[in-house]
Amino acid sequence: MLFPTITFALFFLLVFVGNWLLMPRQGVWKPFMLIASLVFYGWWDWRFVLLLALSAVANQFFALWIAGMPQRGSGRKWALAVAVAANLGVLGVFKYYGFFVTSVADFLSALNLNADLPLLRILLPIGISFLTFRVLSYVIDVYRGTLRPASLLDFSVYVAFFPYLAAGPIARASEFLPQLRGPRDPRNVDTARAFFLIFGGLAKKMLIADYLATHIVNGVFTTPGQYSSLEVLVGIIGYSVQIYCDFSAYSDIAIGISLLLGFELPDNFNAPYTAASVQDFWRRWHMTLSRWLRDYLYIPLGGSRRGTTRTYVNLMLTMVLGGLWHGAGWTFVFWGFLHGAALVIEHARVIRSKGRALVVQRQRRELAAALEVLGEAAPPTDDRGAAGPSLEYDHRPWHGAVWPRIGVFAFVTFAWIFFRSDTFAAAVSVIARLFQSWGTVGAAVTPGVVLAIVVGIGVQYVPRSVWQRGEAGLSTLNPALQGVLLAVGLMLLDVLGPTGPAAFLYFKF
Amino acid sequence: MDDQRAAGQDEATPVSGESTPRDERGDEALPFGRRRRTAASALVAMLVALALGALFNAPAMKKTALELPFGGERSFRLALVDPLATVSHWLFLDRPARLTADALGRPDPGPTDTQVVVITPTPEPTEGGDSSGGNGDKPKKTLQEKPLPRPFQGHPMHLYIAGDSMMGLPGMALTNLSNKTKLIKAQLDYHISSGLVRPDFFDWPAQLQAKARSFDPGAVAVMFGANDNQALQTSSGKVHQFGSDGWKKEYRKRVEDVIALLFQNGVRRVYWIGQPIMPEPSFNNQMKLMNEIYASVAEETFGVQYIDAYKLLSNGSGQFSQYLRDTNGKLERVREQDGEHLTYAGGLRIAEAVIAAITKEWLSAKKGEAGAPSPKASATASPAP
Repeated sequence: MLFPTITFALFFLLVFVGNWLLMPRQGVWKPFMLIASLVFYGWWDWRFVLLLALSAVANQFFALWIAGMPQRGSGRKWALAVAVAANLGVLGVFKYYGFFVTSVADFLSALNLNADLPLLRILLPIGISFLTFRVLSYVIDVYRGTLRPASLLDFSVYVAFFPYLAAGPIARASEFLPQLRGPRDPRNVDTARAFFLIFGGLAKKMLIADYLATHIVNGVFTTPGQYSSLEVLVGIIGYSVQIYCDFSAYSDIAIGISLLLGFELPDNFNAPYTAASVQDFWRRWHMTLSRWLRDYLYIPLGGSRRGTTRTYVNLMLTMVLGGLWHGAGWTFVFWGFLHGAALVIEHARVIRSKGRALVVQRQRRELAAALEVLGEAAPPTDDRGAAGPSLEYDHRPWHGAVWPRIGVFAFVTFAWIFFRSDTFAAAVSVIARLFQSWGTVGAAVTPGVVLAIVVGIGVQYVPRSVWQRGEAGLSTLNPALQGVLLAVGLMLLDVLGPTGPAAFLYFKF
Repeated sequence: MDDQRAAGQDEATPVSGESTPRDERGDEALPFGRRRRTAASALVAMLVALALGALFNAPAMKKTALELPFGGERSFRLALVDPLATVSHWLFLDRPARLTADALGRPDPGPTDTQVVVITPTPEPTEGGDSSGGNGDKPKKTLQEKPLPRPFQGHPMHLYIAGDSMMGLPGMALTNLSNKTKLIKAQLDYHISSGLVRPDFFDWPAQLQAKARSFDPGAVAVMFGANDNQALQTSSGKVHQFGSDGWKKEYRKRVEDVIALLFQNGVRRVYWIGQPIMPEPSFNNQMKLMNEIYASVAEETFGVQYIDAYKLLSNGSGQFSQYLRDTNGKLERVREQDGEHLTYAGGLRIAEAVIAAITKEWLSAKKGEAGAPSPKASATASPAP
């Protein structure tokens, strides 16, 4: 069931009414929300529901198993390993089977070997990567002792909660389960923010993402030879805007409809194309994935505690696996590698700044000691004692206000080429076309395309306070008037938007 | 990766949100005095938005309902939407959307009047412009029977590629291959969910005619059928269920009419791409029925070549497979996740077959010679399975 459809609107209206009517009776509300979520998911394919149910039951078993073991001892570790392996195994079969088979076949072929590999047709359940990370967060938190196992019903509601089911945000069990402890308050619903997020999400999806996809991006990435170099450049930038407007739209709508149901989900985007470093970009882009990778992969690998080289290895490994999480293909791996390499370079620059600062600090201390020996007036001391002032250095890998932002956007946009392309050959042909046909503008660079790109990037530079004032203004209006404004907005979306709903890009991840 | 933050939080593993549950933050002040409202007020706002939105968008909703396949769901939706559209019209609530669309140069959101486009083929143009052939001499050659002009650098042959979403990636692959020849200029034009059965949804005959005039293609590659497995309505208003004799007759006529329309507008060759093998047996049988019609029409019409995508996308045993080996033995995924649409690699197989047929007819012959002995004779033109 897609968000921008009448079917979903009617579905949500029914769920909304049922949600608040049944909320005081949690014993009824929870099965109701679980069933509603399963209907939402089963709308695509009823077989997906089986996977969801199996995942909930199996991971609840793992969590109870782990929780029942003594804190100290290898049993817990083994139980966790089994749980992680089982979840990654399911993900691997559904998502990476084809990638694995074709890669093995290529490898054998390179060795002049031929093997009859089983070529199965496996249906990829929507949002399975998100599901895997959600349930792993639960099992790992239980293992760490930061979360007690929930009831099977609560856990199932967490696993299947329909707003974030298909494409995130990746709400952790520790964020969502506490909200199931008691009924939500029907007098305290953040309706204005919810409506802003839902309508804004629909606008980003229908007016910018889908428009750019059909008017330039799809063509440029599949038939670059048909386009001038300028068109290809605009198409590549257009994809940066498209993927942001598409994915952040889904997150916004998911957060908005959750708010209407009384639940808060974590933010997932914060103006990512205003980032002044790649590190900053990952604090703003798909934030729930970034922190998942940080807390459940990067830090367990050792984080930055085990020396510079190990830090770099951990960064690369985390980003490469993050790339592979997005899709089963070597182009995704390379995309992750590019981001990992950029993070390593930035890390090295910051380390160098720190090293210089340490040298200066040491020289100052030596000078101070020498002056003292010479009987001169000692340098002023303060409450920080003999160690002197704390080490101060610029933590930014790149300096300046404008160029780092342009540079990071250019890098991220370049990396998206590999993310968008099916094969390296396709990516290279897009890049090569950038240098082959300058001199003409091309018919695909229309005012509409340029406007969509400018708006898609420009909205990220609008201060948050502007949106918050708008939300505050909307919140003071009479509900009927709010409805009228939304209706006019929906009419405009219908007139200006594409014919028929298009699936969100991140569904396939 | 947020390395700095990570390093900071590394030693002190963050305790879960249990310590600060969000459900205890309901009364916290919101920025700029934003007010929380009751669930009831949210319901009022949503009901007003949906009701008024439905009235504003009633014409578009009616159009969507009309475009559904003939049957129960369509009738049910129309029964709901028709009164809504009437009320919307009485209350002038359909005007804002129409005026906005008009002002912005967008298509009218309401249903079009076109239900069934009737094409009346005229006799194909012949050499000397006499199409009657009734002057006592032997019948003159049609345009398609005349030698094909050989394209050269600077004067490429125009190839128009048309179809539904199944033509998406094959069309793109065909476009790329055409570019490589430098002798073929391709233009791809595919429309999702379209076909020959429902001109009220997308009027392909009108589109083909317009493109044939504006782009002046020498050859056209078309791929229809994946959305045509539904009932169709004849110009007399009679509805034929899919697969019935009446349906087959009418569908065949539409295929023939489309070809005639293209030929009337100067197109010299039509490469009609059949449907590939499908994973679901019932859908596959429907596609086989379509392929029989396309292959049969191509067999009987000079200048039309059938491209057997069914065979090209089957494995060695003639069965469906998501993966196939290419000519170098490399295993590649040829179908998308749905099993129906083609990946670029799958589309490339069809594109190569079309390019091979075009090369044989248009690019291989010496100057002044007829393009090919017979367009029906081709390695890729095998009958439907």
